[in-house]
Amino acid sequence: MLGLGADRLRADMSRLLALLFHQGVLDEQFLQLQQLQDESSPNFVSEVVNIYFHESEKLLRNLRGLLMDRELSDYKKMGIHLNQFMGSSSSIGAKRVRNICVAFRAASEQNNRAGCLRALELLEHEYCYLKNKLHELFQLEQQRAMAAGVRYPMQN
Amino acid sequence: MAALQRVAQSSLSTAGNSYASCKAGLGSSTCAGPVVDEKVASDEFPVGLKVLVVDDDTTCLRIVEQMLRRCHYLVTICSQATFALKLLRERKGCFDVVLSDVHMPDMDGYKLLEHVGLEMDLPVIMMSADGRTSAVMKGIRHGACDYLIKPIREEELKNIWQHVVRKKWNENKDFENSGSLEDNDRNKRVNDDTDYASSVNEETEGLKGQKKRSNNKEEDDCELENDDPSTSKKPRVVWSVELHQQFVSAVNQLGLDKAVPKRILELMNVPGLTRENVASHLQKFRLYLKRLSGGVTQQQNGISSTFCGSVEANVKLASLGRFDIQALAASGQIPPQTLAALHAELLGQPAGNLMPTLDQPPLLHASMQGPKRATVEHGLAFGQPLVKCQPNIFKQFPQSILSVDDASSRYGVWTSNGLGTVGPSNTIGGLNNSNSNLLMDVLQRQQHKQQPQLQQQSLLPEPSHSINVQPSCLVVPSQSSASFQAGSPVSVNQNSNFNRNSVIDYSILSPQSNNSALSVGHISNGDMKTSGILCGYSAPSSSSTMSSGSLNADNSPSQQNSAVTNGDARQLPRLVPNIADIQGSYGAKSGEMLDQGPLRNLGFVGKGTCIPSRFAVDEFESPMNNFNHGNVHSENHVNPVKQEPSMDFTNNAKVGVPVLRQFPSNDLMSVFTK
Repeated sequence: MLGLGADRLRADMSRLLALLFHQGVLDEQFLQLQQLQDESSPNFVSEVVNIYFHESEKLLRNLRGLLMDRELSDYKKMGIHLNQFMGSSSSIGAKRVRNICVAFRAASEQNNRAGCLRALELLEHEYCYLKNKLHELFQLEQQRAMAAGVRYPMQN
Repeated sequence: MAALQRVAQSSLSTAGNSYASCKAGLGSSTCAGPVVDEKVASDEFPVGLKVLVVDDDTTCLRIVEQMLRRCHYLVTICSQATFALKLLRERKGCFDVVLSDVHMPDMDGYKLLEHVGLEMDLPVIMMSADGRTSAVMKGIRHGACDYLIKPIREEELKNIWQHVVRKKWNENKDFENSGSLEDNDRNKRVNDDTDYASSVNEETEGLKGQKKRSNNKEEDDCELENDDPSTSKKPRVVWSVELHQQFVSAVNQLGLDKAVPKRILELMNVPGLTRENVASHLQKFRLYLKRLSGGVTQQQNGISSTFCGSVEANVKLASLGRFDIQALAASGQIPPQTLAALHAELLGQPAGNLMPTLDQPPLLHASMQGPKRATVEHGLAFGQPLVKCQPNIFKQFPQSILSVDDASSRYGVWTSNGLGTVGPSNTIGGLNNSNSNLLMDVLQRQQHKQQPQLQQQSLLPEPSHSINVQPSCLVVPSQSSASFQAGSPVSVNQNSNFNRNSVIDYSILSPQSNNSALSVGHISNGDMKTSGILCGYSAPSSSSTMSSGSLNADNSPSQQNSAVTNGDARQLPRLVPNIADIQGSYGAKSGEMLDQGPLRNLGFVGKGTCIPSRFAVDEFESPMNNFNHGNVHSENHVNPVKQEPSMDFTNNAKVGVPVLRQFPSNDLMSVFTK
């Protein structure tokens, strides 16, 4: 039973991943990330993604802070933040987040405050969606690992 | 953040690994590393490459670190540019290459790049999510050897060792040219300017050119300041193959006489390219043409002076040899593209080489004397690389000469043929060993440049594997010479591997003079001889090993050649003895030499590839390098033979393209036999 559970969990993970790919939330870079996980760093993906969440939230806070400063929004600084956001998002394969960053940066380059605000809203939304889905994925992975771990002693 | 700034101590203490030793050998410094280390390094070269990664984005930092680890590189990561700089300063020599993000809060990636370039002269690879042309261009201008756009893929990182090799190679080249170990980008640029100025003066339109240049410079500076006030560095345009081809086609479209920078720029329509860049490139292009048709007047003087000046031949040779070794190590894994990339990097610093060797230019001019200007110009468009290379050759030549005391006396007998041939032959042998079909192709391409028709035929480089057999070389020379005289490129092309070899040699020689045909013939012999000589005489340096490597393959062929080409009685007798010597020496040293030989070959290959790919002026340099190597070897050979290097040189220069045509087929044959 437990072994079957692990298989089911694995299927769930695959389905979820397929969905995220289909939606364009993730791209193949995420697969690259998974391939980088090996014995020397068994939790590489979740480690990196957690770093990414940490950094991204900081960046989002900074971006909002910059935009809320009605007097003089520092668009140049915004562009730098967005560049970094783009870099990290594309590095983990967060495709939609990255695309919104590109649009956001374009708006910031034109000093388009309304466009920036809109993009920021989208970005926050997209980021939350990504975060939730990835958390879901990691939970499935954790459960699967546990289920798989339980199965071995039973077989032995 | 702080936690992420960890420095992998293990990576910092990797002196014992193969790469480190290899690097020591490659270093521009004159010290000669143990050959054994180089051998080891050649087996697993990229493993243990010491990489410093700087990125304020810890996500990327972690990912890149993991990717680099997977490549078996030794990774040090750092999230602050200032800390990275501190690290680099404190631990000089502990890193081979730096990967740096562009946008960092404490210090701009460009700034870091500049510091590294000036203080450490390490290859720096920029990374950024910003892939806009302006951003990439800025990175290139600041001297980044590569610009990776995030997301970074593992395949891209696997290949970064090439920048280390390329850098070392360039350093060696600079060293040879300037005699200074500390050449950095700035020096190179300065050299570039000087060269440019001097060449302008020589030109009939010198004044005009200089005026234009100053104007352009102002414009450029303005643009730079707008672009990035923090850096006053002169932007460096990398004349890639594509770019140069665009340039050449633009010039051809306009006609050489009517081609002015502004119109060329319009035709090329390349963003980021300034009129000054084009003007400078055009100047070099014209200079090259001029050299082809120039007088031989100062050849002898130049030669003698260079000889005197270059006492350090041995050292340089040693360094070269090591370099080659690295290349060899890489060779197994290096794809043609890599070679091309190496060449491309060379393009960036072409002028520097030319500058130091003012004496040498005369030689080049001499070779260019050829009456047929029109033909020469064709060559120019395609063959520019050769011209640039020549300066290097000269320098190296002197060096090699210095090392070999006997050379002068013996050289005289051989005349020009010996030098030219020897160089090519070595190269060929090396290529064969290294399995570098690519090299062959490159060489062939050069030939093509000179003779468009030939080019088509030579384009079939693929069979190269078989090329290794040197016996073919013997055959080839004769054919090549025949074809040259007859003017029918077709015959040459079809010669198969052998022909290619011959072609290669020929191409190398050809830029300088008609002698090429002769040299080709000699080459096969020369290689044999050189290897033997090297072993016996100058053995201390790595260069000697090179020759040996080629020799193994070549020995039998060279003998054959002599027999075949017996036609010319005068030279033959001497050749025979030489051959014998070579074989003897070769046999003794072959065991050790073999390893090194391949390495060297690789080095040649890389250069060779560079030449064809660039086609631009810069490319010239690469051919030159080949020539140099060839010369060195040849010189070594020469010593045993007792020919006079200087004599050969002058002869070659004077002979020029026209001479080749004048020579009857018989002469060529005889030369070969010689």
